[in-house]
Amino acid sequence: MAVIRLSGPEAIAITLRMAHVDRFEPRRATLTTLKAGDEELDQVLITCFPAPHSLTGEDVVEISCHGSPAIVRRIIDATLESGATLAGPGEFTLRALSNGKINLAQAEAIRDLIAAQTDAAVKQAARQLNGELSKTLDPFKERLVHVIVLLESALEFVEDDLPAPQMNQVEEILGSVIAGVDRLSQSYSAGRLLQDGARIAITGRPNVGKSSLFNGLVRSERAIVTDVPGTTRDTLSESIDLGGVPVVLTDTAGLRETSDNVESLGIERTHRAMGDADLVLLVLDGSNQLEPEDDELLKQTADTRRLVVMNKSDLPSFQPMARCVEDVEAINVSARTGDGFPALHSAILARLNSAGAENGSLLVTNARHYDLLCSAKRELELAHACFRDRHSEELVLAPLHNALKFLGQITGETTTEDILSEIFATFCIGK
Amino acid sequence: MYWEVVMSFDERFDVIVIGAGHAGCEAASAAARLGAETGLITLNLDLVGQMSCNPAIGGIAKGHLVREIDALGGIMGRVIDRTGIQFRLLNRSRGPAVQSPRAQADRLRYRAEMRRTLEATSNLHLRQGKVVDFVLHNGKLVGVELEDGRRFGAGAVVVATGTFLNGLIHTGRRTYRGGRAGEPAAVELSEALKRLGFPVGRLKTGTPPRLDGRTIDWDAFEPQPGDEVPVPFSFSTDHIVQKQIQCHIGYTTPEVHEAIRENLAESPLYSGTIKGVGPRYCPSIEDKVVKFSDKSRHQLFLEPEGHDTNEVYLNGFSTSLPAELQQELIRMIPGLDETRIIRPGYAIEYDFVDPRELGPDLQTSRMPGLFHAGQINGTTGYEEAACQGLVAGINAALYTQDRQSIRLRREESYIGVLIEDLIKQGVDEPYRIFTSRAEYRLALRYDNADERLQRYGRDLGLVGDSDWDRFYSRQTRLAILRTELDETRFRRSDAQHAAVSALLGADLGDVISLAQLAKRPRVPANLIMSLLPADLKPVSEADLNSVLADSLYEGYLQSQKATIARLYQHDTLKIPRDMFFGGISGLSHEVVERLDRARPETFGEARRLPGLTPAALSTLLVFLSLQQKAV
Repeated sequence: MAVIRLSGPEAIAITLRMAHVDRFEPRRATLTTLKAGDEELDQVLITCFPAPHSLTGEDVVEISCHGSPAIVRRIIDATLESGATLAGPGEFTLRALSNGKINLAQAEAIRDLIAAQTDAAVKQAARQLNGELSKTLDPFKERLVHVIVLLESALEFVEDDLPAPQMNQVEEILGSVIAGVDRLSQSYSAGRLLQDGARIAITGRPNVGKSSLFNGLVRSERAIVTDVPGTTRDTLSESIDLGGVPVVLTDTAGLRETSDNVESLGIERTHRAMGDADLVLLVLDGSNQLEPEDDELLKQTADTRRLVVMNKSDLPSFQPMARCVEDVEAINVSARTGDGFPALHSAILARLNSAGAENGSLLVTNARHYDLLCSAKRELELAHACFRDRHSEELVLAPLHNALKFLGQITGETTTEDILSEIFATFCIGK
Repeated sequence: MYWEVVMSFDERFDVIVIGAGHAGCEAASAAARLGAETGLITLNLDLVGQMSCNPAIGGIAKGHLVREIDALGGIMGRVIDRTGIQFRLLNRSRGPAVQSPRAQADRLRYRAEMRRTLEATSNLHLRQGKVVDFVLHNGKLVGVELEDGRRFGAGAVVVATGTFLNGLIHTGRRTYRGGRAGEPAAVELSEALKRLGFPVGRLKTGTPPRLDGRTIDWDAFEPQPGDEVPVPFSFSTDHIVQKQIQCHIGYTTPEVHEAIRENLAESPLYSGTIKGVGPRYCPSIEDKVVKFSDKSRHQLFLEPEGHDTNEVYLNGFSTSLPAELQQELIRMIPGLDETRIIRPGYAIEYDFVDPRELGPDLQTSRMPGLFHAGQINGTTGYEEAACQGLVAGINAALYTQDRQSIRLRREESYIGVLIEDLIKQGVDEPYRIFTSRAEYRLALRYDNADERLQRYGRDLGLVGDSDWDRFYSRQTRLAILRTELDETRFRRSDAQHAAVSALLGADLGDVISLAQLAKRPRVPANLIMSLLPADLKPVSEADLNSVLADSLYEGYLQSQKATIARLYQHDTLKIPRDMFFGGISGLSHEVVERLDRARPETFGEARRLPGLTPAALSTLLVFLSLQQKAV
């Protein structure tokens, strides 16, 4: 099934003409047959949302039709002939934005939602769409404005009989704002993995079972994209949903077997795959003695985020952790039987630091938001230090205003007029 | 026909200024000194430069404005320096960027000195009369008509009518027309502006009662002395020489508040008689009592009006309650139990013209050659008025001389902040300047106004040779001082190194320059002063403070500039002059209307408009970026 959406003042009229009916009940699905001239296009469900109670704030019509690309194409062509125009990328969002249906953070969440690949990411984008990032940020912003009001009043209305700002009160509020902004920005690393997906590279010397492990992981999970761009005969990549986290799994197997210049090329490619990865799965053959090459790989990956997988636990000669480097923790699996896979999942997720993904706490998934939060935090800390050193208010205020501007880029700007209004509402000013 | 009009003029000027308040005086003085034959028309020549409300000039941000006016070649700073009777530099305990001079004025002497200054200006002609209409020829402004039938010709007209524009005075339930207590209103001129199509709104302000100083028990109040060494407003003033006085501070009591609350029905503010919007930062005592009912007392200042009078201004007690009730209330204040009111307080409503009608030169776009300055633009305050008068006067003269107008940027001056706020955002209530309105507050100091603006004044011809020499030699002294601070270094082996280390209880490293030392926390300026090389000519405290302030704020200003550049990288994106905002799909009618009214020239200006939501802005930004790409 596919949904075609029309938005704008003509949306309803166009659809009425194509459906040959007089009116649609608002927000009720109507079963009808769409026609282009005499030709029947498809039997469809039509739901109409008159302005302003719609996604974009304009009249919106949703046509649910059968999913065949040919049918979808024909219906779209028919609407175009009736006067509709194709939406540009993000145009619906832009219209919703400009009609005040959503704020900037929500608009970005919509974009994330469209790009979201897994359930957890969808849930997360939906949360931001509901304005939760703004909602979570707002109390911190309010507290920040309060501090600014206290300090501005102190230096702007020196002749008025104002209570002096309480040092410890200001410090406490500032501290709580910093902690709050910090907590939100911390959620970004998990949030980014949710949105963009984690890249996992499987590596190991030949014949340790890399491909079996790769296939085992792909088989046991839901593959969400079948033909991944960039897949070559050399590298095998597959996108899977691993416990809610989109994962791009790359197998470096086959490299050495098919390459002529086995040694150098193989090592170089493995290096590159490992360098791009958020996590490296280093596969060892647990049924055999470790070879010098294994030791070399262990040494090479020691400084990266990696997980050592001891494969072939189904073989009698398997020795868990046998002759492994002392402080290396390994997961025992059998790629052939699937034994040990649940433990491998948990271990991978734990390594990806995605604990927040499933428990539903608010995450920042957008790089721009993360950047703004970090900048805000930096300014807040500078102001905090200035304040503790008893610098004059205007020096403390300079970074505070900067911080407010950064946060304002996420939730909307606070103007001088807003701050002045707050001052006059808080204090009795004026001789 | 044209000759008929021209010949019918009783007198011809290049520039006519209507109103001789703080805006009008600056406007006329500047225009005349730029070489324009200037007529300054006022209702009462004895009240030129009258302070309608409190007898004081300056204050935080307002003092900055006066310094900027002075640097540009205006007159307010010089006049107050000769007539101020109590000077204080406010915010002394804070950083130099938020310090600002303030002075009590001798109201009578200020007026006299202002009139003397104007009369000593060549090309400047004072005329008493009431302007009732503009004279147009073929839709072009060519002069003004007076109530007594005289007609004056002019190439440009500056309207600076203050609260006189259709003024209506309220005390209790009584209302009467007036521009100030005891003076007539300019009713016809407001009608004339409306006939030209200007959108006219209504604002309100108020003033407290004046008291008989002989009936005040001064001992009941806390004296508030001025600074021992007054800091002048003008860069040309060396010392304040006239005798200085004290002000006094007192408080209202809960009994006063109770009595006000009981009589709110008598207040035109609360009975609904007054329609105009008043300034929130200058509330009446009625407002203070109602809006901050939890406060048990409100501060009052007893400000003497001058050396030659007993009259005392009761600052903090602005009211429009009935006169007899004001008398009763005053007597409930400890120390004023015997006090008599000389002039009761009152509220006044007056007309203003939407300042979004103006360009950055303060010329109206509706009627070329017509300039507005002061309260007609919705501002409040003598300093706010004066700086607009200066800009309008300069530009009116330049207009008649076919010269390029001047505009001040908000990055370089509070005047620029004020004018841009007015013409881009309009006003909902009387506009007052605050330091927080300036994005680059740390750069706009009272002590560096000369460095920021004096060159403009010089280029225009408003800054005379002696003042320019003064400026030049000060800049030279500062440059030498800067070098000295950088080059005076103390090594571990030096005696001063050990002494300062011990004093600060900190290790200074192997070698430290005076400039580096000054940036450390808790290093007072006088310590730096004492460490300057002995062979250096005596350094003034003011010079040293200016140099130290530059270095104190340097880092902050850089980081602030970087932040603003990063956040507002699109601000310089140009909006075409003929942009059809209604054609941008997705902008609401309201937003299109606001954009059409303000006609922002850049995205940055659009961003600062009120009522433009983030959503509308991103739509506009997307549109502008697409358009730029298409070009």
